[in-house]
Amino acid sequence: MKHFFNNLGSAIASRDIFDNKAYFRRFYKYFLAGLLVRLIFIPFFFQRDLLSIYQRAAETVFAGDFSSSFEQMLMHIIHSAYLMFLKFVFPAINEISSILLEEDTWVSWIGFNSIYNVFTVITLFKIIYLIFDIACMFIILRLSFDGEPEKRLQVFKFWIFNPVVIFVLYIFARHDIIGVFATLAALLLAKKQKKYWAIVVLALAIALRFFPVMILPLFIFYLARTKKDYIILSVIGVSGLIALEIFSYFYYGRSLIFTLLNAQHFSYILSSKLELIIHDRIFIFVAAYIFIILSYFHTGNKNFDLLLNYGAIVYLAYIGLCYFHPQYVLWAVPFLVIIFVRNRQVMYYHWIQFALLMIILIYWGPLVTQFVLAPIDHRYFVYITGIIPIIERFYDSAAFVNIFRSIFTGVSLWMIYLIYKDNKRITGSGLDNKEVL
Amino acid sequence: MANRNLKIKIVVSLALLVLTVSLLAGCQGIFYIPGASYGYYIWEEDGTIFVEWSVDRKDTKFSGKITTDGEISSYNLKEWEEDSDIIRTGEKEIIFSSTLDGEDYSDGFNFIPEDYTYLEFDLKINNNYDELSRINVGGFLENPGDCVFRVEKGYFDSVRMKPWYQKRPFSEFFYKLFANKYFTFLYLFILGIIIIEILRITVIAGKDKKVLWIASLYIILAMAEVCIYFVLKFLTG
Repeated sequence: MKHFFNNLGSAIASRDIFDNKAYFRRFYKYFLAGLLVRLIFIPFFFQRDLLSIYQRAAETVFAGDFSSSFEQMLMHIIHSAYLMFLKFVFPAINEISSILLEEDTWVSWIGFNSIYNVFTVITLFKIIYLIFDIACMFIILRLSFDGEPEKRLQVFKFWIFNPVVIFVLYIFARHDIIGVFATLAALLLAKKQKKYWAIVVLALAIALRFFPVMILPLFIFYLARTKKDYIILSVIGVSGLIALEIFSYFYYGRSLIFTLLNAQHFSYILSSKLELIIHDRIFIFVAAYIFIILSYFHTGNKNFDLLLNYGAIVYLAYIGLCYFHPQYVLWAVPFLVIIFVRNRQVMYYHWIQFALLMIILIYWGPLVTQFVLAPIDHRYFVYITGIIPIIERFYDSAAFVNIFRSIFTGVSLWMIYLIYKDNKRITGSGLDNKEVL
Repeated sequence: MANRNLKIKIVVSLALLVLTVSLLAGCQGIFYIPGASYGYYIWEEDGTIFVEWSVDRKDTKFSGKITTDGEISSYNLKEWEEDSDIIRTGEKEIIFSSTLDGEDYSDGFNFIPEDYTYLEFDLKINNNYDELSRINVGGFLENPGDCVFRVEKGYFDSVRMKPWYQKRPFSEFFYKLFANKYFTFLYLFILGIIIIEILRITVIAGKDKKVLWIASLYIILAMAEVCIYFVLKFLTG
């Protein structure tokens, strides 16, 4: 029995932390404190999208409609399976089926917030994100600093108490953590040089949520050793999307990829542009992205920490230069928390990013501001005067928010510069363990 | 140094808590932001009835009639535009019509009713009765049940006397916590276990008689749950 628990402890906390009593105690303390913070937020807040994804899942589970979510097929399957599980374990969930199946989004939202057990339902809906979050915690501490338990613990702490993680998962209640988990698993496999498995899992992550496609070239350049590798890894990398494309073509009779390309969300990538003349324009993020990828490609010593740094740079460039939704910031966090250990300045700027994000949030309107608090009392938070009308009373709200948006971009670009400097250190004389304060 | 940091953290946390509670309790009295808030705001101060309205800087017409079985002894206008806003007063009624726009954030009037048992309000927004509960009588979200509604004498005092926990959003929050008590107590119990566990590996780790400490903490947790049950029962009436 003791042997079993020893193995379990090592599997969870990693051997170097588990073997040292003081480190393991700190690990356990951080875990409990992080869990406490998460549980405090779990029952009381959500953003409309949480209800939407479970409404689509309800169409599958309660109404047997399998075509209710086309663009996010795998995410839909996961939520449907989870709702099915909830239905099996807690049959009382059937009581809210009429609310979930209500087609009028406003009526369903009001109905959902009005039910007396709304806190229970929100908790059950969000528990799956907590499970993936915990899984991410345990993967993330293995990604770097082998044989340095103190630094691993810091990485763990920075993830556990990261404000973006807590906000996106437990206040905003978005499902991005599932894709982040698959991406982290791919990173761990890449670290262990299991190149085919790493790319297969990354392909799955891409199929789950389009975002990991941004780091696919980095993965290929990191893992490929021969020309053949480049071809095989590239093909496997996009295989998840291709599989979904084939499935959607035969099952739904339409193309998933072209639907995604024509979706509003894809236009976010092209949102920042330099208008030149006539039809000529430069999409700033695309140009910056190619610059980043080429920079990585031409770096001589591609160690794993450099891959992580470039992952952070790619996602910081995205949120710095493109229109984004708050949950997209989460994609940068797994990479950043590792960099925080080497460079605390990046962490302080990340906190500034978060504070600015809370201001930028205003511009997405009541749906992401006061309506997030609606489970507590939807009437109160619907009728309370919104932040935009208050700002509009004194100043142009778009200009106000965009000032902070621009500061956010400035901070993000500065963080990229700091990480770039960190790149030099980790590729130059090996991994420099001195902290930059 | 560590102590100082802790004190700063405590002070900041308390300040944030006070700010949050005071923001949530914005329903105390009647508070609105001209040019940002939307709807009618009606309240009483020292026997004078105030009727004001505001909109988020869009062209909107507010009109209506107030009648009473008593007498309207005097009235005053607030930010009234003589050229576009109309008010007619009689002994027992006030009829008004006013338009707000991007420049005109709010209007209103107040009057002193005497020897009355009721005031009857017939209020419209853009010539229609408001079905969205944007008429606040005596307090934020103290909405009338009907389009044309009566307010008895003493109503404003009764609203004013309402304790904070019977006002939104607290009343609804406590109701949901108590109505769903199995979840609430399980949830609090889990939070309690985590806190005890944190204490066990930090504060209690260096103490003798650890088992006694932990047992005491669990007894305190159980007692806290019982107390919370009765507190919620009291708060939800």
